[in-house]
Amino acid sequence: MRRPGWFAWSVTIFVVICMIAPMVAVIGVSFNPHAEMTFPTTGFSLKWYANVFQREQFPRSFQLSFWLAVAATLFSLTVGMLCAIALSRFRFFGKGAAVTLLSSPLIVPQVVLGMGFLVLLSQLGIVSSLVGLGILHAVLTLPYTVQVLTASLARFPESLEESAVIHGANRFVAFTRITVPCIKPGIVSAAIFAFVTSFENFTASQFLVWDRTTLPVEIYAYATLETDPTVCAISAMLIMMTAVVVIIAERWIGLEAVTK
Amino acid sequence: MPGVLVILAFVAALTITGVLSFHDQQGALTLKQYQRVVSDSYYLEYFWRSLRIAFYCTPTTLLLGYPFAYVMARSSSGVRLALTLVLVVQFFTGDVVRVYALILVFGNNGVINRFLLDFGLIDAPIRLLFREAGVAIGLILIPLPLMIFPIYSVLKNIESNLEVAATSLGASPIRTFFHITLPLSLPGVLAGVVLVFLFDLTAYVIPGMLGGGYFKMIANAIQEQALAILDTPFAAAMAMLLLAITLVILYLVHLVGSRLRGAT
Repeated sequence: MRRPGWFAWSVTIFVVICMIAPMVAVIGVSFNPHAEMTFPTTGFSLKWYANVFQREQFPRSFQLSFWLAVAATLFSLTVGMLCAIALSRFRFFGKGAAVTLLSSPLIVPQVVLGMGFLVLLSQLGIVSSLVGLGILHAVLTLPYTVQVLTASLARFPESLEESAVIHGANRFVAFTRITVPCIKPGIVSAAIFAFVTSFENFTASQFLVWDRTTLPVEIYAYATLETDPTVCAISAMLIMMTAVVVIIAERWIGLEAVTK
Repeated sequence: MPGVLVILAFVAALTITGVLSFHDQQGALTLKQYQRVVSDSYYLEYFWRSLRIAFYCTPTTLLLGYPFAYVMARSSSGVRLALTLVLVVQFFTGDVVRVYALILVFGNNGVINRFLLDFGLIDAPIRLLFREAGVAIGLILIPLPLMIFPIYSVLKNIESNLEVAATSLGASPIRTFFHITLPLSLPGVLAGVVLVFLFDLTAYVIPGMLGGGYFKMIANAIQEQALAILDTPFAAAMAMLLLAITLVILYLVHLVGSRLRGAT
């Protein structure tokens, strides 16, 4: 195999530094005992972490974001699986249109999507935005699960499932006992994608704010109003959470499966 | 089927926004909103500026992302795992957090300015944020994973023997790259460029945080009209124009893409 030359290596190292340095700075500043946002810091303090939990907007919006992401993931995994089965195994009228429609939320700009849901909900007279947020996040996550699961199902030989049916299993048992375990990496990566997409969505979600809102909207609001390291503390916690999820995913299904 | 309902809600949301954009605040049918967008240079400037900034940030992201993807595809599994780990953590940490982190590096009090000041290289901090330069830095760095993943997945499937063959027949590494590797990886480059261009064009968080109200882009203008000024029909008209620009770009890319496939 040909090895990359010095030019490719130096650009790569530069990019890695550009990606890691800001995160290191965030984690560093989060332990700063003073209110300035400078790095490198002197001293050590956990008071900004304490502040995250004292300000009730962060724990509250974290809960909302978390359960919203869980619901969106479960919904779009189930519905995505049904769509994937339909798309990979059957021919039906309007299949091409169905594929286009199912993936189109990906190409519509987030502001347009958020704006659209704002207008739709106000026309329908739905006041509580929880319903709206739920539908919005279903729309945002479904394209990912449909794409990943359709690709996994297309690679899986259907004959294995059929042989289970021939040996006496019914369709449902054959699917859950044979097909699902075989495409587990696809299911896990679809779930991770759906969860992350929902959990960190900001641009579209900010249009559907009532007395509560999601964590990214809350962080953005705080960051544009105040300049103390509280946002660094919460960001540091989120970065570490992400790292843990990524390491678990690597152990469980391998990162290659996630990046596919 | 609930899937149908979700898609229906999506279609309904866009349709109703489209319909609203042809009304005035009192609900009468009119083309006024669109006339206002195209006749007022203040709002046209947002469209123009977003396109212009996307036009120069996307190639820069490509220049940084391609070598990264190349190293990822052509190095030992240890290096590849490390780079993948860095990328995936980037990709999964939300935009709000990542953009916020950039402020700590590029701000007036940030790592770069403090470093330069401490070494006496400058007398006063260089103002990078709250102007176009800061927004451009964000638009170049933040969407890098969107550029790298599609290029990587194409590069890793190219037979590296082809490159070995070209070199052993006497081609220089540069010639090998421009005649073998780059042409074969064009589908990945095209995918990455489209994703990043649309990301840049419709960016909200980056101009919002790094521009700090002094440098807004089209998405910020739409949000402001909808949520602060409460002129929803006008915001709807701008949103529809943005959507139309997106679709035109995708159609052009589709044309280029089918020509690429025809050539190979």
